[in-house]
Amino acid sequence: MKLKKSIGLNIRWHRRIGLSLFFMIIFLALSGFALNHSLGLKLSNTKLSSDWLLSWYGLEQAASDGFELNSGDWLYQAGDNQLLLNQQKVAQCQPPLLSVVEIEQQLLALCNDALVILTAKGELIESFTQLQGLPADLTGLIAQNNQLYLRGESGVQTFDTDSLALAPSNISLLPVNSAPTALPESIKDHLKEQEISSSISIETLILDLHSGRFFGSAGVLFIDIVGLLLCILSITGLWAWVNNQRYRKE
Amino acid sequence: MLKPTLKALLLIGTVLLTSLSSPLVSAKGVYQSGPDFIAEAFNQPPNKATLWLTNDIREQAAEILGHPLAGLRVRYHQLDNKTAWILEEIGKEMPITIGVVVAEGKIEQVKILAYRESRGGEVRYPAYTRQYLGASLTHNNNLDQSIDGITGATLSVWAVNKVAALALYYHGQVINSRDPS
Repeated sequence: MKLKKSIGLNIRWHRRIGLSLFFMIIFLALSGFALNHSLGLKLSNTKLSSDWLLSWYGLEQAASDGFELNSGDWLYQAGDNQLLLNQQKVAQCQPPLLSVVEIEQQLLALCNDALVILTAKGELIESFTQLQGLPADLTGLIAQNNQLYLRGESGVQTFDTDSLALAPSNISLLPVNSAPTALPESIKDHLKEQEISSSISIETLILDLHSGRFFGSAGVLFIDIVGLLLCILSITGLWAWVNNQRYRKE
Repeated sequence: MLKPTLKALLLIGTVLLTSLSSPLVSAKGVYQSGPDFIAEAFNQPPNKATLWLTNDIREQAAEILGHPLAGLRVRYHQLDNKTAWILEEIGKEMPITIGVVVAEGKIEQVKILAYRESRGGEVRYPAYTRQYLGASLTHNNNLDQSIDGITGATLSVWAVNKVAALALYYHGQVINSRDPS
């Protein structure tokens, strides 16, 4: 009678654990199968293209707008804080790219944390950062009568690109020279290609889902618990079989 | 008295929470602004100056850094034979902003002004940066003093070493151009 009760309890828990792990066991088996045959299935060659999956992995999405220069070239920002002139990387600065002006054979780009000074051909002269004294509240660049002005929430200042000297200015109602516009399709396509080629493979995604890493530390812990429950499941299964044999003999 | 099972559960919970929250502890931050660093380095206001990076300088600087140099000019502050430089170098992924003061061809101060990596921020501690005091440049453009590394911060240590050597090299260029003899 005691043995029958023990078998019943054991079977009940075996059933509960088995049912709760049903989907996880199927998923782990299928993802393990896919990883085992990753070469044959060419999973490492297939790249992710879903925007939300890429952003989940922390990969920046391709830029959609930028500043068109007088020459017809485009200055814009892409992932990894890169500032690009057409398809050439010219500097690094934090997004967003707020304003761009061309003045005396120089190209100035105001980013979130720095004012990037480039030659007309896009060669980096230097970056003037907030750490070096660039005001943090700037909103735009204005070029007027060969003088550069920085517009900020606290007012307008003149800026000398050689000495990096700033001085308050009384000039008001200056319009910001330019605003970002949509990038041409050719640049967007190039960015998309670059983004996909440096993207995450399906193999990595499946591996991260299989190990739980996709959901960070909590996901890994969850998979650990599933593994532990699978061990308990096999023990309760074995225990049920042994007890059942004993019960039949009795 | 707590039951042994409850004690064990509490212990496991504490270990799990500690291990899960450890990646959140980061050394990121801005520790001093450039103007404050310069003001602290000199007794009286120094002269602001610009070093234009000629092809020769760029070549040597690239050798020191181990990669091509970005930018055509670099700012520095000078008072007599003392110069102060604020330079950036990437540790693992993000730039580290480092202030270096050089006097008479030897390093007088190294200070981490901004650290943006999530790990390796131990390089900002004075116990580490003090090692650079008195270091000068060998004829191969290396530091003449050995610098003890920090476990887990190797890339940041390399970045500080490179910047210290670069500041010494720039200092030499500035002083030599002023006094060719």
